[in-house]
Amino acid sequence: MERSFHKEIEQLRQGDNGKFQGEGILAVTKALLQSGVGYVGGYQGAPVSHLLDVLVQAKDLMGELGVHVEANSNEASAAAMLGASINYPIRGAVTWKSIVGTNVASDALSNLASPGVKGGAMIVSGEDTGEGASVIQERTHAFAMKSSMWLLDPRPNLQSMVDMVENGFQLSEVSNTPVILALRIRACHVQGDFTTKNNKKSPINTIDKLDDPAAFEYDRLAHPPATYAQEKKKVEERLPAAQKFIVDRELNEFFDGRFNNLGIILQGGLYNTLVNRLNILGLGDQLGNSDIPLMVLNVTHPLAPEQITDFCAGKDGVLVMEEGNPEFIEHQVHTLLRKADIQTKIFGKDVFPTSGEYNAEAVTNALVDFLGDVEPLAIDLEALRNKAAKLLNDKASGQEIMDIALPPRPPGFCTGCPERPVFTALKMLREEIGDIHVAADIGCHAFATYAPFSMGNSILGYGMGLASASAVGPMLKKRTISIMGDGGFWHNGLQTGVLSNLFNEGDGVLIIMQNGYASATGQQYIPSSTAGSDTTPMTSEIEQTLKALGVKWLRTVRTYGVSRMLETLREAMTTEQKGLKVIIADSECMLARQRRIKGENAEKLKRGAEVTIPRFGVDEEICTGDHSCIRLSGCPSLSIKDNSDPLRDEPVTQVIESCVGCGLCGEIAHAAQLCPSFYQAERVQNGGALTKMMAGVRSSVIGWLAGSERPQ
Amino acid sequence: MSETQPVKILICAMGGEGGGVLMNWIVNAAWAKGYPVQATSVPGVAQRTGATTYYIEMLPEAIAPGAPEPIFALIPTAGEVDVLVATEAAEAARAAGNGLITPDRTHLIASTSRVLLMPEKMAMEDGRLDNDKLAAILDKSAQKSVLFDANQAAQEAGAIVNAVMLGAVAATGVIGIELDDFIAAIKQEGKAVSSNIAGLNKGFALAKGEAEEAPEADNVVSLSEQRAKNDFPENVQPILQHALRRLNNYQNTAYAENYLARLENFKDSDPELLVSVAKQLALRMSYEDIIRVAQVKVRAERFERIKGEAKAAPEDVLIVTDFFKPGIAEISDMLPTGLAKSLIAWGEKNGKMEFYGIGMEVKTTTITGFLKLWFLAKLKWWRPHSHRWQVEQANIDDWLDMVDSAATLNANFAAEIAELARLVKGYGSTHRRGLRNFSRIVEEYVRPVLTAGSVPSDATEKLRDIRDAATKDPEGSALGELLAKIGSPGTLAAE
Repeated sequence: MERSFHKEIEQLRQGDNGKFQGEGILAVTKALLQSGVGYVGGYQGAPVSHLLDVLVQAKDLMGELGVHVEANSNEASAAAMLGASINYPIRGAVTWKSIVGTNVASDALSNLASPGVKGGAMIVSGEDTGEGASVIQERTHAFAMKSSMWLLDPRPNLQSMVDMVENGFQLSEVSNTPVILALRIRACHVQGDFTTKNNKKSPINTIDKLDDPAAFEYDRLAHPPATYAQEKKKVEERLPAAQKFIVDRELNEFFDGRFNNLGIILQGGLYNTLVNRLNILGLGDQLGNSDIPLMVLNVTHPLAPEQITDFCAGKDGVLVMEEGNPEFIEHQVHTLLRKADIQTKIFGKDVFPTSGEYNAEAVTNALVDFLGDVEPLAIDLEALRNKAAKLLNDKASGQEIMDIALPPRPPGFCTGCPERPVFTALKMLREEIGDIHVAADIGCHAFATYAPFSMGNSILGYGMGLASASAVGPMLKKRTISIMGDGGFWHNGLQTGVLSNLFNEGDGVLIIMQNGYASATGQQYIPSSTAGSDTTPMTSEIEQTLKALGVKWLRTVRTYGVSRMLETLREAMTTEQKGLKVIIADSECMLARQRRIKGENAEKLKRGAEVTIPRFGVDEEICTGDHSCIRLSGCPSLSIKDNSDPLRDEPVTQVIESCVGCGLCGEIAHAAQLCPSFYQAERVQNGGALTKMMAGVRSSVIGWLAGSERPQ
Repeated sequence: MSETQPVKILICAMGGEGGGVLMNWIVNAAWAKGYPVQATSVPGVAQRTGATTYYIEMLPEAIAPGAPEPIFALIPTAGEVDVLVATEAAEAARAAGNGLITPDRTHLIASTSRVLLMPEKMAMEDGRLDNDKLAAILDKSAQKSVLFDANQAAQEAGAIVNAVMLGAVAATGVIGIELDDFIAAIKQEGKAVSSNIAGLNKGFALAKGEAEEAPEADNVVSLSEQRAKNDFPENVQPILQHALRRLNNYQNTAYAENYLARLENFKDSDPELLVSVAKQLALRMSYEDIIRVAQVKVRAERFERIKGEAKAAPEDVLIVTDFFKPGIAEISDMLPTGLAKSLIAWGEKNGKMEFYGIGMEVKTTTITGFLKLWFLAKLKWWRPHSHRWQVEQANIDDWLDMVDSAATLNANFAAEIAELARLVKGYGSTHRRGLRNFSRIVEEYVRPVLTAGSVPSDATEKLRDIRDAATKDPEGSALGELLAKIGSPGTLAAE
């Protein structure tokens, strides 16, 4: 795993009145233990990977508390785990990345939400929208509504998030309904502190096991005729129970303000942004005092109707601050007020942007428009507009002084990444046989959609690469190439892609990037990981699995061998043989490998064993400054610098410090017949007596000969 | 309502630079002092080499236990950043462009070093951003700024760049956290403590102006040739000195003399034309072949330089492996004309010119490996007997004639023809592509102009555009489009 959580695990052990200092998502993890969960599962993905990573590493503590932890094979298997809470009063939590994970989990979620739960069931969803987001921008809110699950969106400080975990479990239990704790990316990564409580053991756990399974209860099955009654219960029993609990326990927060004819209803997660803007505009302070009354929805679904009508009644205007599209809360507020015949004017998406993150600019503009329209008491609108204008002016003057076009800096393959050479070979193949339809996928390999490769016709979801090309292949004269990571293969691609292709006698080429981890999300282990030990996989081998499924054309190629990869690709594209052709592109994730080797080398040096560290270089005089090598590689360690030759103007290629000597530069020089300026330099430490003697003889002979080649 | 406003710090970094660790050092130091603090980030997959930001808000004073804590924002806002830390110059400029560095309040701490963006590196010639413009943007944007090469400082201190930036933050003294507080935070974290503290101190000293950046050593050319000095104007002297040395090393003194003889025609020309011809002629006469490669690869200084790059200690052993893949073209280059022509004909017939070659990995630090290259380097006496030599010399003379006849019409146009030779460079496919583009431009544009006997006023500019188009993309599509658009110069003049 990319990160060790040794220190964080110590924090998870803290008892009553301790002080936790750290990241939001780890605070939530601690809150799960304080709430007495019996099981935790999930599938990795930013920004919630750490929740599961830390628990996987905290084996001892989990053993002591009797908590069952699973790193699930995908979100569907994680969601299905919550099935334990249908029949048993056990609290459980699962986690995944935002809407994309919820989509995968949705079959199990619907069948969980229908019978409902006895034990509290919580889904921790890492919402990934706005700046830095890496997935499609949809709302989890829609899922909560259509499956009747409750949606928690607490204020983004550690104490509020932690409190909401405990309250969320209770809410789940009193209303027999699963709940979703939705945390935005910045809230997951926020550093802060809260006062801890003792961890609680689940009444039923892996130590104190039950003697007997739950009794047979037909009503707890998501199966007709029980489903009809369950749907009725959702509306008639669970919803009112939840609404009562929300009101009684004051899960939503109200802050008074002196302008009583106004109000703002907001999602809890947006609280800090709003308070900050009110402070800057002179309508509040940094401690949260506000001139405008606030209703903070820490639970965004369901709404408690009387809270909404009470808050709005008698006001001239209320602003609904709801991020994302469509505006579900705003619609509900309108309906509630209309039914109660309350004439308060509601503002929302008419003053806020219809999509995208509610950042300072969006909130400032919305506040000015809102206040400008309701003509409130004692606000100097002119002064307000001037304060608001500062932000826009600062932005505009920034753009003004920016008199160059600055290209974006998207993420990319790491130095020495084993996936890069595959795309080098693909780019060369494309030069040979023309353009190819490339079905891209989710994972590090999606970086090939950026320069210098700029490849990929579609991305349809994690592990869906092959399936997304199934109707394209039959329409094209040339075969399609689909990409899948080993993570994607186990997550979904095995059945959605490979099996479906075989069953339908499909053709086409599939490249599986076997780097041994779910690399993009922090190098979590997957079933084919070898866990650093020799070559035995933890669970299953991809090659054997494919053979067993019935794949006939199968090649495993070391990724760095560009020439060999190119040959294999050429063969796959042109062979007469029909059927799926799978190339397993095999080499360990370089980031993981470097981390491993660093430790191993340090240990070797300590005991005086030989250590060889490779890196590449460029002979500047031979480099012609054409940069073909960069266009075929894009490695961060391959850069350019001024030409020291006074006769030449074009910058030459250079290999910078960070090079790890993966060998791709040499392979490219060969495969693409580029210039011979590349060399590999290996530094051998603690060389043996023979190595040193040979080196001595060599360097004196070479030194003597080389002396004659000095430039005059 | 409370008076003291939070300090807002934005860190702009790239994945893998330890921006998150830098953020944590500041947060931990603030906690140690009892300051309310909040920090957050959006790393996600941006941690893989992409641009990413970390944002901290902190009240620079301890508050009483139980007193209400300020509510901090999670998103940085234009015009409201007090300290902006950027580990790279373009990322600092990006922040300035977004209004996150403003003259009324922002203290900018930025590294002047560059990590080039992909489009800058991919360009066939020089696609780099203008450093002066970047500097001007940073100069204009901040209230106060500390600009230094933090990358170099980190290398000198044996640290990662984040520690250096932390030192610079301490030196500014604007966030109420001192050097010692940061040292404590680094110790508390307990990873790579000594190198991080070395980096911290270096950054602190640089930002305080206590340490000087090492000046770059000048490359002094001392060699002089009397004849060149006597006959040619002053402005071209440095080029001549370099060219003569290069050609002498490439072949022999007679060849260097031949260079001056070829240049003789142009010595009284327009100074810019002379410079262009002098540069390009030297480059064309020292065309790239496998002998030249071997000459460079066996120099004693090369091994010393590589030792430094690999950070090899005196007791370490260095192994250098060189990569060659001479194809049909490179081999036929060295043969006598008759044999070479048959080989090329065979290669073209069988489609072997592009993708056929003998891959060799030569361990140049072994005696046998070194001797292979050494003998090859010694083969330079054979060069004048090779097919390539004949072709190159003829091409050079052709090109010089063309420049010469253009010079009688228009010196600028002639200089542009001289510069056209820049397209012809390199080895293998790069060389073939360059030569193809060069010939195409000569045949489709230059010759028609010269044949017409008058140079249209926009011809020089057009020729430059055409040359630029040739380096836009390796496929030559931009060049094809432009040539088609311009049409033949004759028809254009008629319009």
